[in-house]
Amino acid sequence: MKDGIYRNTCPRNCYGTCGILSHVKNGKLIKVTGDPEHGYSKGSLCAKGYAFTQYVYSPDRIKYPMLQSPRGSGKWKRISWDEAYTIIASKMIDLNQRYGSNLASGYNKFSGNLGLLHYATEGMFNSIGPHTKPIGNPCALTGKLAMNRSFGESFSSVPEDMAGSKLIVLWGANPAVTNVHQMKFIKEARSKGAKLVVIDPIFTQTAKKADLYIQIHPGTDRLLALGIAKLVIEKQQHSLEFLEEQTSGWMEYKEYLENQLTMDEVCKQTGVEIEALKELSELYGTIKPVATWAGLGVQRNSHGSESISAINSLAAVTGNLFLPNGGLYFMHFDVDDFPCALLNHKGPEHPMIPGPREVDISDYASSALQLSEPPLSLLWIASRNITQDHNLKAWVELFQKLELIVTVDLYMTKTAEKSDIVLPAATHFEEEDLNVGYWHYWLSINQKAIPPYYEAKSDLQIARELTRKLNELSPGFSNFPADKEPIDWIKEELTPEIMALYSLTTYEDILKRPYQKGIQKVLSHDKKNFRLFSPDGKKSEVSLYQGDSSGVDEYKLITPQSLLKIHSQYESLNWLNRTQDESCIELSTEAAQLNDINDQEKIEVYNDQGQIVGVAKINPHLPKNIILTHQAGNNPINQLIIQQNEEDVSTYFYDSIVYIKKWRESHV
Amino acid sequence: MFKQLGYSFNADDCIGCKACEIACKNENQTPAHVRWRKVTKTSGDFFLSVSCNHCDNPECFRVCPERAFTKRQDGIVEIDENRCTGCQLCVTACPYSAPQFDPETQKMSKCQMCYPRQDAGLPPACVEACTTGALNHVDLNKFSDLEATRTLPGFPNIKITSPSIVFYPVKPRKRYFIK
Repeated sequence: MKDGIYRNTCPRNCYGTCGILSHVKNGKLIKVTGDPEHGYSKGSLCAKGYAFTQYVYSPDRIKYPMLQSPRGSGKWKRISWDEAYTIIASKMIDLNQRYGSNLASGYNKFSGNLGLLHYATEGMFNSIGPHTKPIGNPCALTGKLAMNRSFGESFSSVPEDMAGSKLIVLWGANPAVTNVHQMKFIKEARSKGAKLVVIDPIFTQTAKKADLYIQIHPGTDRLLALGIAKLVIEKQQHSLEFLEEQTSGWMEYKEYLENQLTMDEVCKQTGVEIEALKELSELYGTIKPVATWAGLGVQRNSHGSESISAINSLAAVTGNLFLPNGGLYFMHFDVDDFPCALLNHKGPEHPMIPGPREVDISDYASSALQLSEPPLSLLWIASRNITQDHNLKAWVELFQKLELIVTVDLYMTKTAEKSDIVLPAATHFEEEDLNVGYWHYWLSINQKAIPPYYEAKSDLQIARELTRKLNELSPGFSNFPADKEPIDWIKEELTPEIMALYSLTTYEDILKRPYQKGIQKVLSHDKKNFRLFSPDGKKSEVSLYQGDSSGVDEYKLITPQSLLKIHSQYESLNWLNRTQDESCIELSTEAAQLNDINDQEKIEVYNDQGQIVGVAKINPHLPKNIILTHQAGNNPINQLIIQQNEEDVSTYFYDSIVYIKKWRESHV
Repeated sequence: MFKQLGYSFNADDCIGCKACEIACKNENQTPAHVRWRKVTKTSGDFFLSVSCNHCDNPECFRVCPERAFTKRQDGIVEIDENRCTGCQLCVTACPYSAPQFDPETQKMSKCQMCYPRQDAGLPPACVEACTTGALNHVDLNKFSDLEATRTLPGFPNIKITSPSIVFYPVKPRKRYFIK
């Protein structure tokens, strides 16, 4: 690779999808800077982004393919790529011969790298015909479907437009930690006089910056949004014309607010005092434009869908959906505009089996355990650390039943540690890719800037090479187009329609700077399909906040994102996470008193799934019924997270009940 | 002095994201334990982002037996690592823990305000990284803003060295906690 500056894009599961300029000398990445041409990140990165030189050259990176025998023993042996491919391909072919199809081979892949070329894993499996594949989205499906019900499609306003809002209301979103670049647009709005309101059970870093912070019981956003709408309508501050002409369900919604919802109930369930409700409703009712952000945190519990719908409806009631600089923020799925040729690659047909066997990714392990004829026997894991899933007991059981576990990763994650084979993955600096955001609307290229670290390879390169091995051992086994180069796949994404959508004239344009999708994300006046909140009779009867009735010694476990990690990514980098200290368990002053726990004392947090020992940190701003811990680490908190299977939802990560007690030696 | 380059730090705009701290490591490739810039949380529940303050009266300069420190005409305090013997007198003298000792090289190093970048017309790496614009570099000889203050609660005593940094305090907020 030539010395110079390359364009890269941060492929993390993050709002930023930031443009990076990579400074390369003698084939080494010597530093990164933000791409000033990127209209969202505007020339800066986050702390994690600035740590990329350490991320790329960390001695902890996996250098070679390795085989562990026996599984979980820690006895790893370096093997060649050819040996790895032979073992994997032989097993796939063996399973195919045993069962007459490839349904016994499957994968689990999620969001470790969101570049379009990382759909190579999906493409590689499609290419062998019917197999076992994950469907759904453990992070955002609940909210996505709620948005679709409200708008008839996915909807999320343009983030840069927030800089022109007069009131910004964040529900369960903490951009100061999870989306730092949004804070500059919020700051710009505030410097012009806008107010920032944060609604969150946790007094987050963003909440500390808010002009008005309202603390709320988790899972009760629905009631707060409805209560505010009720007050707005009572004061005749609602946008009647819009509601009558462009929404459906207005009479039903109004009737519900007027006759079935009492402010006493709202205050009781949400924990929000009436003065706060009045203050926020006055802001919502009198200021325009208002930008409302229904955060992902809102939908990580069983009332999430209704809460998102109620928040959307509040933005509609106040007439902000069609106002420039107003609108509604969630996240978008405009990646679906692209051909996603690797994702949608069509494999060979099977004479008997119509298509792949689908497993809900939000309940993957326990669903996979139910599979028979054939059972799931080979599992390929890429862009995924399953310790970030829930129901880890089921994963332990599934791992015991699998005949071969292959993990592709950059680091020896807890998942890799339990695998038979690990394959070293390339960083985004070592491969070509094309990236679209899910928050902002920018498209940007990812150039190969440096040679791969030791023997690391991209998911696409692995797909190409495994395909060749499969076809060598069993001609015609896979129809993956192994000869296509990364550039061919990138150009295939840039169809004339996509080029027009992003104002690209030639492919070369995207090498010069990121391009924004030509859109104006406000609800147009001719659209008449906004669907207002409609109470779900079944659920609305359920009492939401049970902390007092069932005793304060039961706690809701909340495990938000950390500033210097993304789930378990980056945790070993000492620029960012200098000490691998024990789990810090935050609890309220009341909970500490009740359980006779002192600050910095060792405590145990447990439920029927397991227990975690950590150091108590008394947080005087935490509601009494919440335990707050962070994700990943040596003893991942997700061991305590469990959700009953429900269709068409993402994982309710913030809905598990835990208990606490002082730690004693005998408990171990 | 033609200039007195320094920093302005707005505690109200700082979100504690540490981009400045890690951007400094990215630019200067310092090891983990050598922290030219540090973001810390004060007992007042706001953040401070502090590096060498390129003081008017730098104590490091005064105490260094090797005369390794110099103050440039633009006010930047430089350290010549070739002169440093690693005696660490400057560590005890500096109120801001700006000079950082590297046990591997047995030398001190510290923030030099990215003068090679500044000489090329670029802002210091930390300033460029600050997404909210809370951290800026300013010429204090020309700086004047009635809203700015010389110190904030939690910042070390400024009387000894007269640091080249000005601050903007946090503003009061309205908060409704669950009772």
